Amino acid sequence: MEAREARMDSAFDHGLAVPQVRGKLRRRLVPGLLRARAILYGILAIILVIAFTLAVSVVFLRIKGAGDLLITLWPAYAFVLAGYLATRGFKDRKLWAFGLAMTVGVLLAGLGVALVLGVMGVSGGDGNKAFAVVLLGLIFVGFGLPLTWSLTGSRRWFTELRGAEGPAIRTADVLEQEVTVADLVIHPGAVPAVAMTVAPTVAMTEGERHGNVDPLVSVRGLKKHFPIVGGLLRRQIGTIYAVDGVDFDIYPGEVFSLVGESGCGKTTLGRTLLQLTPPTDGRVVFNGLELEDVDPDDMRPLRRKMQIIFQDPFGSLNPRMPVSDIIGEGLFAQGITNRAERDKRVEDSLEIVGLRRDYTRRFPHEFSGGQRQRIGVARALALNPDFVVCDEPVSALDVSIQSQVLNLLLDLKRDLNLTYLFISHNLSVVEYFSDRIGVMYLGKIAEEGTVEELYRNPRHPYTVALLSAIPDPDPRKRRKRLVLKGDVPSPAAPPSGCRFHTRCWLRERLGNPEQCSTVEPVLRVLDDTGHRAACHFAEEINEAVVQETAATQSVLETAVAG
Amino acid sequence: MTEVLAAPGPVGAPPDRDVLLEVRSLRTYFKVLDGIVPAVDDISFSLKRGQTLGIVGESGSGKSVTALTIMRLLDIPPASIGDGSEVWFDGREILSMPLDEMRKIRGNDAAMIFQEPLTSLNPVFTIGDQIAEQVELHLKIKKRAAMDRAIESLQLVGIPSPERRVKQYPHEMSGGMRQRVMIAMALSCEPKLLIADEPTTALDVTIQAQILELLKSIQQRTGSALLLITHDLGVVAEMVDNVIVMYTGQIVEQGTVHEVLLEPRDPYTMGLLESIPSVEKRGGRLSAIKGVVPSPFNLPPACRFEPRCPYAWDRCRTVPPDLNRVGSGGHLARCHLHTSEGAGRLPDALQRHRTALNLGRTLPTGGH
Repeated sequence: MEAREARMDSAFDHGLAVPQVRGKLRRRLVPGLLRARAILYGILAIILVIAFTLAVSVVFLRIKGAGDLLITLWPAYAFVLAGYLATRGFKDRKLWAFGLAMTVGVLLAGLGVALVLGVMGVSGGDGNKAFAVVLLGLIFVGFGLPLTWSLTGSRRWFTELRGAEGPAIRTADVLEQEVTVADLVIHPGAVPAVAMTVAPTVAMTEGERHGNVDPLVSVRGLKKHFPIVGGLLRRQIGTIYAVDGVDFDIYPGEVFSLVGESGCGKTTLGRTLLQLTPPTDGRVVFNGLELEDVDPDDMRPLRRKMQIIFQDPFGSLNPRMPVSDIIGEGLFAQGITNRAERDKRVEDSLEIVGLRRDYTRRFPHEFSGGQRQRIGVARALALNPDFVVCDEPVSALDVSIQSQVLNLLLDLKRDLNLTYLFISHNLSVVEYFSDRIGVMYLGKIAEEGTVEELYRNPRHPYTVALLSAIPDPDPRKRRKRLVLKGDVPSPAAPPSGCRFHTRCWLRERLGNPEQCSTVEPVLRVLDDTGHRAACHFAEEINEAVVQETAATQSVLETAVAG
Repeated sequence: MTEVLAAPGPVGAPPDRDVLLEVRSLRTYFKVLDGIVPAVDDISFSLKRGQTLGIVGESGSGKSVTALTIMRLLDIPPASIGDGSEVWFDGREILSMPLDEMRKIRGNDAAMIFQEPLTSLNPVFTIGDQIAEQVELHLKIKKRAAMDRAIESLQLVGIPSPERRVKQYPHEMSGGMRQRVMIAMALSCEPKLLIADEPTTALDVTIQAQILELLKSIQQRTGSALLLITHDLGVVAEMVDNVIVMYTGQIVEQGTVHEVLLEPRDPYTMGLLESIPSVEKRGGRLSAIKGVVPSPFNLPPACRFEPRCPYAWDRCRTVPPDLNRVGSGGHLARCHLHTSEGAGRLPDALQRHRTALNLGRTLPTGGH
């Protein structure tokens, strides 16, 4: 908890208010703890079974010989095996595997005992003995099944044991009531609301500019690192800093865009924000709810409110599923198990995106690229989300189709009151589509601001170069571009200091100040509009400087050994 | 590779000396299971020495097939080239030329840069070997001299420390670097014609800027002609003198880059330009071209753009339009609006285009 407070404080550097947390969700159990619990259960069960078998064998059957004992212990071996298998498969959602292994193991054990001892007459034709053995098998079943039951239900059982945190909202309740996310606060007032605080450098907070509305999504210090494993033992030999400390707010009803080159972490950021991959560090507050290690049972109703449209309309639709299943899968997972009702919802969402209602039985290959992307949109919208991450929704489409899909997204935003996080590398689409933009470079936000500010008055040398690189379809505007040198450095070994300094034209122009390669610039607020840039020399940038630099550049020097 | 050509029929007279490449009523078909696809359907154009020509179109419009046909890189069959098709390159007809003659031209006088630099480079040879191989073959020089030439051409495209780079394999380089290698390879024999098929589509925007600037400077320095194939109207506007717009295998509009991009006269080009998102259109709808590109097996009977065209009338459904002259110069558009029958409708269409281009259609209610 203290670490989290500390991270809250660090947000002050960025001129963003501390996100207001209105409610708390249950935390997911630590995976290690889950596994330890599973192993403990396994061991307990095995000890119990062996002790019980021994007791029964010795007391009831009066077995003295070691051979007899080994045979009688047969179910215990099976149980040991089952327990071993189960603890291996015991990971969070794989509880059912444990239960299944248990059940199968126990049943097999019981049957085995009955067969081996009772039918084949190892017990020497003693009817009583055979009966006792069959009884033993039945006891195993009787003992194993409830244990299995309690274990498969243990997630609920366990959380209910913790009790103090109050009743959890079940998905089914949520669906019946059609509650909004705001109602999903599990214990209102449990956490005192953190007062909005104004960073000293800004005259007006971002919230005030948005009419004192709380942000729908707040991201603070979000990080996602991926391990690079190698060698014989698959040990970690490096880290890819895909997203490395990102802060921003998204307000209800706006389109916030992330732009950047491939590999800058914009897609990873989108996915991490939705908790599709767990973040390495940092906070995401969605509508006043802290999304950090949220218990899957509590996360599921929230997922309805946060959806994603994927980039590739060919890769993101399962070719073996008809449209009704592609769109209906999410509905099913959210508890709409009634086929007729689900089909109706599917047809409704198809209609919303401008496809025909009777397309539900068709397969993805029967559609064109634009239509597929519409199916992707329909899937995201089927659950009435508030917030949609659009991950390059039009990059794979031809120009004439692209504008159809963009129009659709804008219409839906207006009609359904959606908020978008729009991820794209196409700067002209972003300029048309968004309200505010964050420019990403190597896992960090280099500059953030409103469209007007960012395009008219870019304050980060990277943004300037990006904008200069857009090809303009007006041949009268042929101009000398400002071309960046070299390629994006590897996110596994980001440059020291400012991540952009290896390619920066401004640094070169200013005579390579040492600061750039040693001190990491913070994303600081530049003016009243909330324009932020992470550059030590943001004030040095103006149109004249850019023109002059572009004019003196040599194309042949632009490739730098990578 | 089976590369047997159908007899191309009687060959016409060669074009003027200053015309480097002239394509005359070129048709390329593909025989597939479902029937015959006319990938390129009767296109003609010419490219003067040292000039640049852009071919724009959406996927499936036949622009890449045009380039591959010119370079004779298509497998025949399944492809076949229609009777009466002629391609004149540097005063010689190359479709009827024997294959070993063509091999001397390909890579030497006419070189091609492909879209995917990773798949077009051989992963098991160093890039030095790959460049030197063709230099050796075409210029008939020794291996060592060819390698020097390779280093020279890598230097020309701005790759630092080329002596070290020639010993590297394609996987050791980034996308932009590979595309530079492709360009270096194409330039190694100082071609008269450079065909670049979507040279920057797979690249990021900052790398795209590097490559475009590089192509521009090289083209100016060496004076080779450039045939640039792309779907990006922005790239075309920056790079070329003349533009051809293709739709379903046909040329729909042709002219200088200023004519086509600033005063488009074919409804398809108009629609493409209208649908480009820009800051002026913020808060409004983009005017999209309705519908999708028709299937090549089921093309509309007359004008192929008619089902998607906002200006179409009865004539468009019955009479296939020709490439009509627009204005006084060489500006051509395949549309009935520019015939005497459509003249009455033209001012209205242009007005609508201008409105759509500048404003977009405004939304009934404002944004958020």
